[in-house]
Amino acid sequence: MKPAEKEWTPKILAFLCNWCSYAGADLAGISRMQYPPNIRVVRVPCSGRVNPYFIIKALQRGWDGVLVSGCHPGDCHYISGNLVARRRFAVLKDLLEYLGIESGRLNFSWVSAAEGEKFATVVKEVVEKVKALGPAERLVKR
Amino acid sequence: MVVFQMVWKVIGKNKIPTLIQELNKEYEVFTPVKKENLVFFERVSSGNEAFLDFQNTKKSPKEVFFPQTEILFTYEINKQGVEIEKAPVLKRDIVLLGIRPCDAKGFLLLDKFFSSGEYKDLYYLEKRRNTTIIGLACNRPLSTCFCTSMGGAPFGKEGMDLLLQDINDKYLIETVTERGEKLIKKLPWLKDAENGDIDKVRSLSRNVEKAIKSKVSVEGVSKKLDGMFDNKQWDLIHEKCLGCGVCTYLCPTCCCFDILDEATTKWKRVRIWDSCQFSCFTLQGSGYNPRPSGKERMRQRIMHKFNYFPKNYGENFCVGCGRCVQECPVNFDIREVVEAISTDIWREKDE
Amino acid sequence: MHNVENSIREAAKKLLSEKKVDLIVGYERGTLPLRTTPCFVDKAEDVRKLVWNENCDANLSKYLLSRKENVGVVAKGCDARSIAVCIFEKQIDKEKVVIIGAPCLGLIDKKKVKAKLDGRELLEATIEDEQIRLKGEGFELVFPKKDFICNSCLTCRHRNPPIYDVFTGEKVSEAEVDEFGEIADLEAKPAKERWEHFKEELDKCIRCYACREVCPLCYCKTCFVDQTMPIWFGKTNDLSDTMIYHLVRAFHVAGRCVDCGACSRACPMNINLREVVKKTEKIMKERYDYTAGLSLEKIPPLGEFKIDDSQEFIK
Ligand code: SF4
Ligand code: SF4
Ligand code: SF4
Ligand code: SF4
Ligand code: SF4
Ligand code: SF4
Ligand code: FES
Repeated sequence: MKPAEKEWTPKILAFLCNWCSYAGADLAGISRMQYPPNIRVVRVPCSGRVNPYFIIKALQRGWDGVLVSGCHPGDCHYISGNLVARRRFAVLKDLLEYLGIESGRLNFSWVSAAEGEKFATVVKEVVEKVKALGPAERLVKR
Repeated sequence: MVVFQMVWKVIGKNKIPTLIQELNKEYEVFTPVKKENLVFFERVSSGNEAFLDFQNTKKSPKEVFFPQTEILFTYEINKQGVEIEKAPVLKRDIVLLGIRPCDAKGFLLLDKFFSSGEYKDLYYLEKRRNTTIIGLACNRPLSTCFCTSMGGAPFGKEGMDLLLQDINDKYLIETVTERGEKLIKKLPWLKDAENGDIDKVRSLSRNVEKAIKSKVSVEGVSKKLDGMFDNKQWDLIHEKCLGCGVCTYLCPTCCCFDILDEATTKWKRVRIWDSCQFSCFTLQGSGYNPRPSGKERMRQRIMHKFNYFPKNYGENFCVGCGRCVQECPVNFDIREVVEAISTDIWREKDE
Repeated sequence: MHNVENSIREAAKKLLSEKKVDLIVGYERGTLPLRTTPCFVDKAEDVRKLVWNENCDANLSKYLLSRKENVGVVAKGCDARSIAVCIFEKQIDKEKVVIIGAPCLGLIDKKKVKAKLDGRELLEATIEDEQIRLKGEGFELVFPKKDFICNSCLTCRHRNPPIYDVFTGEKVSEAEVDEFGEIADLEAKPAKERWEHFKEELDKCIRCYACREVCPLCYCKTCFVDQTMPIWFGKTNDLSDTMIYHLVRAFHVAGRCVDCGACSRACPMNINLREVVKKTEKIMKERYDYTAGLSLEKIPPLGEFKIDDSQEFIK
C-alpha cells in the first residue's frame, strides 16, 4: 500500500436534527462513548430541512459519505418534517444508486435525544461502510 | 499579398490514415469521428478513427477554438494577495481535417468577432492562429444546406488552407494558402494531380452547386430589418420556440459566452457557452432583463445574424449549414423567417 | 387517421366559431420529412392547417402555461396526462383550456429512422397501412411502421387521453405492456457498470437544455441550474455538473413525469433520457403505487406521506 492510501480516512458529513440526533450525539459525547472521529456535523432544525441539494453538493465536493439523522417517526418537533423527508430521501437514494453511486455513501437514521449509544453505533457502521468503499470518486468535481 | 505556387496533389482514400498518422507526430489532429450514429470533430490519435464519408457533423467544429467550457486561469487567494496562474491554451499546433466549406466560412466570421476591433480574444486566437485547415468539399450536400444563398459553395475554398475534393477512390488536394503549401511540403510522398482529374473536380463542383435546392433570398434582408425592430411578427414567430440551446449551440457562428468563477480544489475562472435563447441570457444582477420574453430573444437571434452582425462586420452571421433547421426540437426553420422578411410579408402584415 | 384529422379540424372550427376559445394549439406540417411543427390557429378558416399523424410529437402542454386567453389544445394520451399534472399544480387554468383529445397512433422515432438509414439522408417519407416508405437519393425502402415506433409509445398504457373535453376519433384498446422492462437490464447490473453506462451517455450532453425545455413539467421560472444566489451546481459540461443536472431534473419530475418521451426525442446528442426518468416512475409505482397524470385530485407522492411508508434504508 502506498503511504498516501494508508493515511486516507473517510470524511463524512452528518446533518443532525437539532431536537434529537444532535442531542443524541451530545449524549454520546458526555457519556464518553467511543466512536470514530470522521464525521463533521451540520446542525439542522429538522431532517425535513435537509434539501437533497445539500446531499448532492456534499458528494460533488468530495465528501466520502453523508449521514442524515432525525427524530423517529411520530416524534418530529414539527410533527411531519421527517415523514415528508423520508419520501424525498427514498427517491433520492434510489435514484443515486440507480445512476451508480455506491449505496453505502448515503446513510439515514432515526436517533432520539436519549439514544447516545445508537448514535455511536450508527456512526461506527457508517464509517466502516465508507472505509470499505474507499475515497469517493464518482460525482466528485475536480 | 503573398505569392505562392498553387499546387494540386492527390491522395488515395486508403492513404488518409497514413496521412493522419504522419500529421499526428507534429500536430494535434482533429477529424470527424463517427460515434454510434453521430459524427463529431474529435482529437484523433491514430489514423483509423477518421470518418470522412459524412454529410455534415452534428456539432460544428467551433469548439476546437471556442470550447464549451474553457478554464481561463486558476487563482489562489493567500496572505500575499491573489496568485494567478494562466491555463495553458495550446499544446501543439493544430490540424483540422475534414472541415466543410460552410464551417470554414464560419471560422472567418468567428475571427471577426473574436479579433477585430478593440479587444482581441487571446484564448481563441492562440489556437486559431496556429491551425492549418484541411477542408473537404461537399459531394452530397444535405437538403437543408443553403450555403450558396449565404455566399458560400459546396466546393468553396474560403477559410481553407488546403481543400480535399472527392473523386471516387481519391481526393485531389488543392493548395489555397501559403500555410497549406507549407504543410504539403512536409508530405513529399504526395503525388501531383493530373490535369484530367482537376477538370473532373471542376465540373463536379459546378454540378453539386447546381444540385443545391434549398435557397433563401437573403439579399437586402439586413436593410429591411433596420425598420423592423417593432414589427408585430416578432410576437408570433417566437411562439413555438421553447428557448433551448440547440440552434445556437450547434451553430458554427454563435459565440455568446458567460464567464464565472468556480471553486473546487482551486479557484477557476471559466468561460462557458451561452445562448440568446435562454431565459437567463442578459439577465442582470438587479434582476432586470432587457430581453424578458421569447419574443425579444428570438428577435435577438434573427437580428444578430442578419442585421447587427452585417452592420458591424459587413457579412451575415449565418453560413447556411442547416444544423439549426435539422435539429430544432419543434422544427423552427430559420429559412422561413428570412424568406418572409425578404418577401415583405412581414411588412405587409404589420400595416 | 384522416377521419381523426378531420374531427380535430371540426372540433377546432366549432370551438373557434362559437368563441369558446380564442386560440387552438395543434400541429401543422413541418419543413422536413417526418416532422410536424406546433401551430397556433385563431381563425376558423385556418383550421385546415391542422394535421394529425404519427409525427405529432411535440407535447403541446408546454404552450398552455401562463396563457391569458382561452385555448383549445390537441392532446394525445401522454399530453393530456401532463396537462392534468399542470392543472393539479395550478400551472394551467382548467377553466381556460379545452382539451381536444385524440387516441395516439404511436409516434415515429426519427432517430430510429436515421439509425436505419445509416448516414443516408431522408428526403421523403410516407406512412400508409402500417407501412412506412422512406425515400432519398438513390434509395426507396419500405418497412413495417412498428420498427420505428418510439420506445415511450411501445410501453404506453394510456394512448387514450384519460382527461379531455372533446374526444376525436375512436378509443383504441390499451396494451398490457411491461412498463419498466426497458430498464430492467440496467438495474440488474452492478453499480459500477451502471455508473460507467451513465457516464458514457451523459458525457455527450452539451447542456443545451432541450430536454428541460420540451418537458411539460419543467416549467420553473428559474431552473435550479440557472439560479445564481446561491449557485447550487456548475453550469459547465464537466461530467459531474452534467450528471447532477440530470439527476436533479429526474428528481424534480419524480411522481410527475408522464413518460411522454419528449426529452429523449429532443436531445440532439441522442441521449436516451427516458432511461433516467423512467426510474423515477418506477420508484413512484413501487413505493407509493402512483402513476402520474391520471387524476386531477389525487395528491402525488412527494406532496404527502403516510406514517407507515417504506423505510428499509433508514437505520
Ligand atoms: S432550437 Fe428551436 S426551440 Fe430551441 S431555441 Fe432554437 S428555435 Fe427555439
Ligand atoms: S443559423 Fe443555422 S443555418 Fe445558419 S450557420 Fe447557424 S446553424 Fe447554420
Ligand atoms: S446573440 Fe444569439 S444569435 Fe447571436 S451569437 Fe449570441 S447566441 Fe448566437
Ligand atoms: S421527463 Fe421526459 S418523459 Fe417525463 S414528462 Fe418530461 S419530457 Fe416527458
Ligand atoms: S429541472 Fe427542476 S428546477 Fe429545472 S425546470 Fe425542471 S423541475 Fe424546474
Ligand atoms: S437535450 Fe441532450 S444535450 Fe441537451 S441538455 Fe438535454 S441531455 Fe444534454
Ligand atoms: S424535528 Fe427532528 S426530524 Fe423534524
